[in-house]
Amino acid sequence: MMNKKTDVLIIGAGLSGLLAAAKAVESGKGVTVAAKGMGSLSLSSGCIDLWGYDIDDPQRVCQNPLAQIARLNEVNPEHPYTKVADVLEESLRYFQGLTERYGCPYRDNGGANWLLPTALGTFRPSFLAPPSMALRDLDKAKRIVIVGYEELKDFYPEVMASNLARNGNLPESVKLTVVKLRSAWKKLYATTLAHRLEQAEGIREAVEQIKAHIVDGTVVLFPPVLGERLDIDVTGQLAKALGAPVYEVANIPPALPGQRLQQLLLKHLRNAGVDVIIGCTFTGAKVEGNRCLQVTAEGAGKTFTFSAKTYILATGAFVGGGLDSRIGEAREVIFNLPVRTAEKWASGEFLSMNGHGFNRFGIAVNDRLQPLDREGRVCLENVRITGANLAGANGPIEKCGNGIAVASGYKAGKLAGEVAQ
Amino acid sequence: MSQDRHLILDNCIKCNICVANCPVVKVTDQYAGPKQNGPDLERFRLDEPAAVHPSIGYCSNCKTCDFVCPSGVNVATMNCKAKGEYVALNGAPLRDQVLGRVELICKAAQIAPSIVNWAAGVGPFRAMGEALFGVAAQMPFPRFATKTFLQQFKPKKIAHPKGKVLYYPGCYVNYYTPEVGLALAKVFAHNGIEMVVDDFNCCGLPTVSNGLMDAAKAYGVNNLAKLNRYIKEGYAVVTTCPSCNLMLRQEYHELFDMDTTLVTENTYDAFEYLLMCHEKGQLDRNLKRLPRRYGYHQPCHLRAVGYGVPSLEILRLIPELQVTALDAGCCGLSGSYGFKKEKYPIAREIGQNIVRAVADTGVKQAVTECGMCQLQVNHVTGLPVVHPIQLLAEAYGL
Ligand SMILES: Cc1cc2nc3c(=O)[nH]c(=O)nc-3n(C[C@H](O)[C@H](O)[C@H](O)COP(=O)(O)OP(=O)(O)OC[C@H]3O[C@@H](n4cnc5c(N)ncnc54)[C@H](O)[C@@H]3O)c2cc1C
Ligand code: SF4
Ligand code: SF4
Repeated sequence: MMNKKTDVLIIGAGLSGLLAAAKAVESGKGVTVAAKGMGSLSLSSGCIDLWGYDIDDPQRVCQNPLAQIARLNEVNPEHPYTKVADVLEESLRYFQGLTERYGCPYRDNGGANWLLPTALGTFRPSFLAPPSMALRDLDKAKRIVIVGYEELKDFYPEVMASNLARNGNLPESVKLTVVKLRSAWKKLYATTLAHRLEQAEGIREAVEQIKAHIVDGTVVLFPPVLGERLDIDVTGQLAKALGAPVYEVANIPPALPGQRLQQLLLKHLRNAGVDVIIGCTFTGAKVEGNRCLQVTAEGAGKTFTFSAKTYILATGAFVGGGLDSRIGEAREVIFNLPVRTAEKWASGEFLSMNGHGFNRFGIAVNDRLQPLDREGRVCLENVRITGANLAGANGPIEKCGNGIAVASGYKAGKLAGEVAQ
Repeated sequence: MSQDRHLILDNCIKCNICVANCPVVKVTDQYAGPKQNGPDLERFRLDEPAAVHPSIGYCSNCKTCDFVCPSGVNVATMNCKAKGEYVALNGAPLRDQVLGRVELICKAAQIAPSIVNWAAGVGPFRAMGEALFGVAAQMPFPRFATKTFLQQFKPKKIAHPKGKVLYYPGCYVNYYTPEVGLALAKVFAHNGIEMVVDDFNCCGLPTVSNGLMDAAKAYGVNNLAKLNRYIKEGYAVVTTCPSCNLMLRQEYHELFDMDTTLVTENTYDAFEYLLMCHEKGQLDRNLKRLPRRYGYHQPCHLRAVGYGVPSLEILRLIPELQVTALDAGCCGLSGSYGFKKEKYPIAREIGQNIVRAVADTGVKQAVTECGMCQLQVNHVTGLPVVHPIQLLAEAYGL
């Protein structure tokens, strides 16, 4: 049986795993990322949510996410943010630095949340946004042109326009125009369109049909399809050719900004010498005392093993595959770590404002991100837990998924780097 | 290993990660994509096997969807079966029937390989092939070797072998690049490993990719029976072609529900095998310097196995050899896919990722395990391409 050795093994290739790898490899250690498949980054908007709504008044958008998170210690001491508070700002700066280095500098809104338009014509709070989405002062525009494609499913510019108008945040004077383009390509997925827009033909096709609608003070909004590659700035090319600023709005997956971020991080890991293996499913672990000695993986029906000094468990929750559930029971699939559950798994309403109990399920950790048993003792001292695997957050309601992934990934990577050789 | 068909279907959470990563969907508007052709239509196929979208022929069977899927849905396998249903119902063009039976073409060409090579390079013949049969004139055919690997290989008796392997060369090495198999034989002999060969059928992957399921299954039945005999005699099965490897250890089971337990457990990529020898301290580490730089392309079917790149770990042992991963994803050719007139532009467009990676890294030569990838990398970039085992043999001075 093949056994692979590495210093730091990161299980999971989502945002938290990739960031953990980036940080850990800076210590000079050998780092391997191995995962069953890609993470939820390519499903997410591509923005980093930190804290969306006010703790005391959940209907209100949070004005100062960092200050609110600092309060979690009192109001929700089990929240994952309380375990990573020491590195939160450092990790965000690190993340911004990394994205800047690869030509896609994630922008903050001076400490406040961005309010970014969505495909449904609503606004969503987020903390860091890629340049193609970081849209400020939409209400100061004279005209907003919303661009869709006849051939593209899953984006309806008319719906966006009418909701945007109804939302009432925009002054009367702003004119909303819907432009539905026709492409020479008959069937368009988001990725297909992104590829087409990376070709001169795709840009020309778009510009020719939009141009007539541009007046002074126009802002042009596209679905999140402006290219897949990092080295081609589709947004910039369109803006230049149209003579007006162009932005991507948030939409349901697949959204290209998340994919570009994933690509950026993978590129960085390759440059830094991290091994990345996709298509490898971990099924179990060999443990002695409170140390993990080896983990077992399966690829193409065959079993092999990995051994490392530190294991970072970045396998996500139910969507990512890290947690599995049966009726009345949730379990962590590799180390069989105890999963903290709640009395009530789900709220009766699908879109309940209080959120569902299962979203908070996860693994309890100490502030070194080591997993704890029900009595609060460390179960495995050389294992660290990150991202959606952590207990206590309610991502969809709190709007904090990628924020926790960044901070906990960064911290786990940093701690792994500090382990003596 | 085996999963119930419904169960796999229900695992699909419609996340679209497969669509987002499918190299074909990206570059053409002709293909309905992995999710729709795979799990979406598979639900209908449970009742109605003929529920197949005609665009299924555009799936190149690169398996990217399989390994990016976070829910373990084997989309590509569903697509292969669906393609089989489609072909069973509607028939396959003559071209696909020929391209899918690589073994037959190769055997026929053995009568006069040099004449075939000559004819394959003549423009007017190729133009005619494109017009009459739809075989892309711009895609160069690989060149037949004058003598096959099996004709050239001479087994070496080793007194106290450290291991016994049966080498499954596959059609590409046997007919086109016997030097790869010969290099492997030398490396094994040098390290005290006994290697034997036998006459096998094609693994059947090209056959499956063209929807000819019955023919592929027949190959599988023959191969499996023979492989099992060797394994029971204590041989490990070793391949140098990632597609043959995947076919033997996974696809016979997934596609045809054959019992491959023995073969799955005992089949290794050549470098996976060498890596295990290395870990046991059984690999000669006396390697010459090779002060050169190569770009490494990872074949999709090697990626699909999910154990990383064993060859890179071994090549790292060679002093002064620099191997830079190109990390460009699928090369686009996908076996016979890129030879089809209507798919050639798709294959070429996907291959541009390789062109860019080569420009980015500035490498002047490339290395990759898969014969077809070698062909495509050379076609789109013009760089010379070798198999990693050739570099190892060279570093041993063999
Ligand atoms: C549809 C959707 C949209 C979202 N949008 C946003 C957004 O816009 N902004 C935001 O801030 N947050 C968003 N989130 C939340 C956020 O994406 C996640 O909270 C965060 O990215 C989780 O990252 P992760 O690294 O913890 O896990 P994941 O991204 O879930 O990654 C898990 C990884 O582990 C691997 N894995 C799992 N099990 C195994 C195993 N047994 N063996 C090997 N590998 C395994 C998976 O293949 C995967 O690579 C969204 C989430 C979803 C589902
Ligand atoms: S097959 Fe896998 S990757 Fe594709 S949509 Fe379903 S779960 Fe997602
Ligand atoms: S096998 Fe490759 S071409 Fe076919 S659907 Fe999957 S990713 Fe796309």
